[in-house]
Amino acid sequence: MGEASLSGFALRVVGFDTATDDTVVAAADAGRIVFERVFPPDGRPVHSQALLGAAGEAAESLGGWDRVERIAAGIGPGTFTGIRIGVATAAGLAASTGITPVGVPTLSALARSIGAAIAGAGMVMPLIDARRGEVFGGLHDGEGNPLEDPFVCGPVELVERLQEIASRRSLPISAGPGAIRFRSELLRAGLETEPDGSPVHRLAGRSLCELGASLEATGPETLKPLYLRIPDAQLWLERDGKTDHRTGTSGRG
Amino acid sequence: MPQLAIETSCDDTCAAVLDGPVVLSNVISSQADHERYGGVVPEVASRHHLDLVVPVVEAALAGAETGMDDLDSVAVTAGPGLIGALLVGLSTAKAIAAPRRIPLIPTDHLHGHVAANFLEPDPLEPPFLCLIASGGHTMLAGVRDHAGFEVLGETLDDAAGEAIDKAARMLGLGFPGGPGLERLAATGDPGAFTFPVAMSRDPGLDFSFSGLKTALVYIGRDLGEEGVAERAADLAAGFQAAIVNQLVTKLGRALDDGDWPAVALGGGVAANGPLREAVATLCRERGIPFKEVSRELCTDNAAMIGSAARFTRALPYPEYVGFDAFATGPRGSR
Ligand SMILES: [Zn+2]
Repeated sequence: MGEASLSGFALRVVGFDTATDDTVVAAADAGRIVFERVFPPDGRPVHSQALLGAAGEAAESLGGWDRVERIAAGIGPGTFTGIRIGVATAAGLAASTGITPVGVPTLSALARSIGAAIAGAGMVMPLIDARRGEVFGGLHDGEGNPLEDPFVCGPVELVERLQEIASRRSLPISAGPGAIRFRSELLRAGLETEPDGSPVHRLAGRSLCELGASLEATGPETLKPLYLRIPDAQLWLERDGKTDHRTGTSGRG
Repeated sequence: MPQLAIETSCDDTCAAVLDGPVVLSNVISSQADHERYGGVVPEVASRHHLDLVVPVVEAALAGAETGMDDLDSVAVTAGPGLIGALLVGLSTAKAIAAPRRIPLIPTDHLHGHVAANFLEPDPLEPPFLCLIASGGHTMLAGVRDHAGFEVLGETLDDAAGEAIDKAARMLGLGFPGGPGLERLAATGDPGAFTFPVAMSRDPGLDFSFSGLKTALVYIGRDLGEEGVAERAADLAAGFQAAIVNQLVTKLGRALDDGDWPAVALGGGVAANGPLREAVATLCRERGIPFKEVSRELCTDNAAMIGSAARFTRALPYPEYVGFDAFATGPRGSR
C-alpha cells in the first residue's frame, strides 16, 4: 500500500478479525501466509469459542508466541460484541506477551481483500452488514488505504453516496457482507455485486496481516474500537432527554 | 504464587492479585457514566470495560508489586451477569493466561460474594448463612462448604438494589441510589407512610420487591410532585425500612429453619448501614456471630472472585481457550 514500508512486511504477524460474522485468523512470516483459518457462524458467530485457540495455532505456525513480533486485530466497524472479543483478546495477548499490538480498521482489511481479489480495482467500497437495515462502508483504494471517512447508513443514502462518488470520481467496486445484503439497492446505483459465495466478499487473513505489519501507528492505543454508532441509550438521552425507550437499563451486580 | 483475578460482570471493572486467601491488591474502577442514564446500560458498560480492563489489570499487578511472569493462574467471572460485559473480562483473562500456558479458573459471580468471607484476615469457615443483596441479585445462600452454596430463597421479581435504585430515581436522587437514599432516609420518619410488607405471610424464603416500588408510585401520585419533594425524607425512610424489614425477616426465618452457626452479607446493598445494624441486632438476639466484611469486599470486586477460584476447578491450558461466558445461571446448588 501507499504508506506501507516494504520492510514492515518482514515481520512475523498474527492477525485476526471478529467484527463480521466470520472469525478470521491468520499468520504471516515476512509477507508469506503460513496459517489461515475462517470459522463461519454456527447459528451465531463463534468468536468466543474459536478465536483464541486459532490464534494460538497461528502463533505456533510462526514458532510460538516468543517469535511473534506483532498482533494485528480488526477494530471494526461491525458487531459490537464481536469487535470487543477481538480487541480484548489482542489487548490481553499483548499485555501477557509484550508483543506490539496494532488495530486494523476492518473496512481497510476488507477493501484490501477486495482489491487483491479483483484485478485492476482502483477504488473499492467495502460494505459490512450493520443490521437494522444499514451498512458500514467506506471509500478506499485497492490496497486498503482510506480515501474518505467511513460511514453507517441505510440503502437509500448508500445509493445517493455511490452516485455522488461516481459524479466526482468514478463508480467504485463494492463487495463484502453488506453488498450481499443490499445487492438490489446497489444494482439501482448501477453496481453489480458478485455472487453470494464469491471469495471477493470475504475478509482475507492475508490483508489483516499485511496491514498489521505495515501500519505506522501501533501500540495498545491503536486498539480502540471503531463502533461508528453510539449506544442506543446515549442516542435517546441526547435526542429525547430520557433513556428508557425500551428496557435500556439493568440493575447492578 | 500470585493469582490474577478479573471481574467485569456488571458496571465495575475489577482486577485483584491474591496469594491464596491473602489479597495483595484489589483495584475497582467504577464507571461513573451510568449516573446520567439512571441505571447500568449494558452497551455503555461493555465499552467502558474494554477501555479499562487492561489498565486495571496492570494497576493490580503494580499494586501487588508483581508481574505477569509471576502469575500461576488467572481467575475470571464467567457469569452470571451482563453477557457483553462478561465477555470483555473473559476474553482478556483467557488471552493473558493462554500464551503463558497457565490455568484459567472460570468462576461464578455469586460464589464470589459468598467467598469474600473466606479471605484473610479473619476468614469465616462454613457452615454459615449468607444474604446476598445487590442491584442484580437477592438471595439467601446456605453455605455448607467452600466449594459452593445452596440457594435457600431468592427474589421472584426485582433485586433489592434494583428496587432501591428505582425508588431513588423517583425521589430525584442519583445513581446508584443506595448511598443517596440512605442519607435522605436518615432524616426521615420510617413510620410516616405505610409500605406493604411483601412476602411476610409467605412461608418460604423467597423475596419480592416489585410491590414496594408500585406502592411508592401510588403514594407519589397521591402526594403530587411538590408533596413528594416535601416528604422525600419520610418516603425514603419508609421505603428503606420496608426493604430492610423484608431482608431481615427472611434471614430470621432461614435461621429458624436451619442450624446456621453464623451469618454473613454480600452485595452492594450489604453496604447499607441500617441493614447491617438490623442484621447485627438479629444475630445478637440469636447469639450467633455476624461476619462483617469491608464495604470494598461487599460490592463487586475481583478479590472475591480470586477467593471463590481457590475452591473452583482450574482448567489447564488449552482446555479453556474455547470457554464461553454465561448470562444467567441455573437455580439451585452451585
Ligand atoms: Zn455482585
